[in-house]
Order: sequence, then structure tokens, then C-alpha cells
Amino acid sequence: MALETELATYTKHLPEWREQEGRFVLIHGDAVVDFFGDYRDALRAGYRQFGLEPFLVKQVHQIEQVQFVSRSVDPTTPVHLV
Amino acid sequence: MPFFTLPIDADGPILNLVVAVTEERIEALTKAGQPIPQPQVIRAMIDTGASHLHIDPRVFHALQLTPTGQTTVNTASSGDTPHVADQYDVAIAIPGAAQDHPPLILGTVPATTCDLRAVPGFNALIGRHVLNNCVLIYNGSSGVFTLAY
Repeated sequence: MALETELATYTKHLPEWREQEGRFVLIHGDAVVDFFGDYRDALRAGYRQFGLEPFLVKQVHQIEQVQFVSRSVDPTTPVHLV
Repeated sequence: MPFFTLPIDADGPILNLVVAVTEERIEALTKAGQPIPQPQVIRAMIDTGASHLHIDPRVFHALQLTPTGQTTVNTASSGDTPHVADQYDVAIAIPGAAQDHPPLILGTVPATTCDLRAVPGFNALIGRHVLNNCVLIYNGSSGVFTLAY
């Protein structure tokens, strides 16, 4: 799975981030880099600091927000299998 | 406010969507001395039943993107447990109907992977996250839809 380390870091620290609700966190490996008010700012910082290395940008929500598709489709097919 | 009106296809309101690498990633690619993948022009359906922008993984593959996020998605076939899906940062443009119409450009938006091979005719669902930037009029009795932005 992509970004496995970063997602584990997110899950580990999430309970500490109640005051960051709705902001965007930038995570590289097990390092929490910073929080941003805007998705684009977080991405820019990620690409500038880590280039093409993996990094995670995720909006902080104590309760995970679920996206919806009202069709019977599969959102899980990894890119390398298409 | 620019707008265009298109006929509603047999499958629904479908239009051309340009999907490209974001400016932020282009900067990183340039710094690494790597080529910039060409933008992809795909067919996309406007779908108010989709909460976000959902794009077929083949498009991300063509743009040589790697995920920068992950999210959970409920589909009509998810059951009680939502799927976990990769998210990518993309730039999108919806071309205007005429050459003098400015396109709708969203420079950096998250797009969630969604295998749309089972639903031929389009490679993306334009959901409410994108439609929040527009006025959409679905005129079913006349068989057209209008998008203003």
C-alpha cells in the first residue's frame, strides 16, 4: 500500500490534533512536517521539501470523512494493475 | 460569468476534461530533470451523486503520478465498510464551448482513484467538490445542460 508509513504516523498522532481539525497536515515518513490552512500550500511545501519522494497531505478530521460515489464502481484498483 | 450549454448524452451530462500535472509537481519534476507528462484529455460525467472528483487510475498512470493522499469512499456496492482509495493531486480544466470562452481551470485539486472501466463512455466523475465552483443547470426537458463558472 502506498504511503503506509505516513498513514501510520497520521493515525498515531491524530488524537493529539483536536485543535488542528480541518487543517492539512504534511507527513513524510514518520515525521510530521507542518499544518496548513490550504491543500495547495501543503502540497507545495511537500514537493519543495521532498521532491518526488513519497509524502502525505491529509485533512485532519477526528472522524474520518467519507467520500461518496452513487455508482457501483471500484475505487481500490491500484494504478500499477491497470 | 462564462458559460456553455451542451446536449445531454444518452449516459448523462458528459464533457471534455483536461487533466494535467500540478504546477507544484512540475516544479519538482523540473528540479529532478524529469520530463513533464502531457495533459490528458478525457471524457467526464457531471455527477451530483459523487462528492468529489473521481478519475480512472489509467489517467493517473498516463500522467506518471504517485499518490499524495488517501481517503475512504462509499460506493453503491461498498456495503457497510467504505473502500480505502488513493488520492492524487491534479490540475484540471474544462474547456469553454467556443474559442473565446475562458476555460474553467482548477490549478490544484485532489482527485480520488476510481476504476471506471465497467462504465464505458467516460473516465471521470465530476462531483460536488468541483461543482462548488460552478452553476449547473440540468434542463432535462430540452435535453441540454449548462455550466457557468
